[in-house]
Amino acid sequence: MYEKHLMICGATGCLSSGSQAVEQALIEEMEKRGIKDQYRLVMGGCPGFCEVGPIIVIYPDEVFYCRLKPGDMAELVEKHLVGGELVERLLYKGPDVDVPSRFYDTIPFYAKQQFNVLRNSGIIDPESIDEYIMRGGYRAFTRALGMDPAAICEEVKKAGLRGRGGAGFSTGLKWEFTRKAPGLKKYVVCNADEGDPGAFMDRSILEGDPHAILEGMLICGRAIGADEGYIYCRAEYPLAIKRLKIAIEQATEYGILGENILSYDFNFKINIKEGAGAFVCGEETALLASIEGKRGMPRSRPPFPAQSGLFGKPTTINNVETLANIPLIVREGGAAEFARVGTEGSKGTKVFALAGKIRNTGLCEVPMGITIREIIYDVGGGIKGGRAFKAVQAGGPSGGCIPAEQLDLPIDYDSLNKAGAIMGSGGLVVMDERTCMVDLARYFLSFTQKESCGKCTPCREGTKRMLEILNRITEGFGIPEDLDTLDSLAYSIKDSSLCGLGQTCPNPVLSTIRYFRNEYEEHINDKYCRAGVCKALFTYRIDRDNCTGCRACVKACPVDAIKGEKKEPHEINQELCTRCGSCIEKCRQDCILITPVGREADVSN
Amino acid sequence: MERFIDHCCKECTHASDTPCKDFVRCCVEGPVCHDDPACSAKRKAIIEKVALNEQFVIC
Repeated sequence: MYEKHLMICGATGCLSSGSQAVEQALIEEMEKRGIKDQYRLVMGGCPGFCEVGPIIVIYPDEVFYCRLKPGDMAELVEKHLVGGELVERLLYKGPDVDVPSRFYDTIPFYAKQQFNVLRNSGIIDPESIDEYIMRGGYRAFTRALGMDPAAICEEVKKAGLRGRGGAGFSTGLKWEFTRKAPGLKKYVVCNADEGDPGAFMDRSILEGDPHAILEGMLICGRAIGADEGYIYCRAEYPLAIKRLKIAIEQATEYGILGENILSYDFNFKINIKEGAGAFVCGEETALLASIEGKRGMPRSRPPFPAQSGLFGKPTTINNVETLANIPLIVREGGAAEFARVGTEGSKGTKVFALAGKIRNTGLCEVPMGITIREIIYDVGGGIKGGRAFKAVQAGGPSGGCIPAEQLDLPIDYDSLNKAGAIMGSGGLVVMDERTCMVDLARYFLSFTQKESCGKCTPCREGTKRMLEILNRITEGFGIPEDLDTLDSLAYSIKDSSLCGLGQTCPNPVLSTIRYFRNEYEEHINDKYCRAGVCKALFTYRIDRDNCTGCRACVKACPVDAIKGEKKEPHEINQELCTRCGSCIEKCRQDCILITPVGREADVSN
Repeated sequence: MERFIDHCCKECTHASDTPCKDFVRCCVEGPVCHDDPACSAKRKAIIEKVALNEQFVIC
């Protein structure tokens, strides 16, 4: 028996911030003291709080240590493991707590979260099927084996689960369509082609709890009458793929995958298909084409995949988070319990990836219906550097931005749609006052334009024309007619594109025009970018009345464009200045002003 | 018995080619098909080795 369990975050985010080196240092320290065998070390799944990684949680004490470095391990071993004391300096500290915080109960990031999908992440060893079973794993599947397939679909429908990948279609209904489709051969496909910039919900679920996905697929297979499944996962997720392969091997050894599973007349096998990272392959029909070995391009529907999907057979495609919810719903009493959380039209919880100008970047799982304000300020800790919140981009490049006036908007499928955004897969990119909304729209459109597969003209040509206009506006060559042209092109592309990529990619442009039209007009008419992002449309000037001559900006400037004596107001040489923004970041007196080109006066306020 | 797939005694026959319908429940609550405190203790030992706290096991 072990004295304590040390769960180290072994997900991609923490690995990239050095959790492997921390683990190595911890092992060395324990070996030095000859106590290694008394403790169990697990490189587990993601506890969500990426901002403060690498993280170790020690059980049963339930102590959360964060921002760890290999050099901290000697003290952690000496004080906590040997001495039984808390290492206060390694506990969570932040502007949102008065005293260093111990764990979930006192760290504000976790206060409003509810773990359903992430129930096992950071709790179990993701490479152990035994631990998954201990946590109630494969019980729902065992129950499903004894149920009528139609009854399984009915339970999923009753729970109100809607697809977590984007459109939010009823999962139970989707299953029912495939179940009723004629044919002996059917497929289950798990869409793990997470492609939105800044989104990593699916990766974390796959890395932290791979058996939950297998169980979701098995239940789906039982419900629709399929005997084979595919997981289509980005090749850029090597750890997720490694853990999925281990999980499949274990489930096969345990007789949970294979033939006559658990003595029932049910066979199921799962294959992994690694995708090459094309964004369009997240679209159902493009994904199916890619699995079939064809070029990843969408096709027109009908027929829908439920009638004619993979290799022409009826197919259900669900995303990772959708499938991870299934075992919770199909367990005894699970559907009613699931439906108790959330809103009338959006049941359960949703995992979001918080990114951008937010203090607490990471993953959070919150009940549907929570407001944007609660996510940004209570979970996310507010805006970095204490700046003002400007907007949040929900739903990635297919989504839209929601402005500060709508901070109290509840997060659910219908409210987001009404606001011009979408739930998408759950990426939330937060923006502050220094974000230029025209540039943001340009960025997301440049992403979708590059990722357009080129099959249909509206998307291929339309996105290119829209991007040309946005480039022109951000370079100072916008004309007043541009806004109407953008609007007209956007609706044409939305209405006539073949697939979801084209039908949704104008959303960032439309939503920024809707909520930030003044910024577009300022770029076009005044040739001014007040956020200080579009380099052709502003200059930095020093407010001579307030400059104390501290020289912080002089030291920060990489091109020596700032001159001035100590304690005397400084000056920026406009010929040399590259508008990199280093000076404005360093100035403590806020006396670097963003001004229109060729104008001395500050109009930024 | 190091893992749940290992047989607790000759009474247990679950394997991928000789499957038992009660296998999953048996891992945590078993043995289901026979009554033997020693077999039960073997399962408990696997659980106790990795359970982080009292709420860890979900039946």
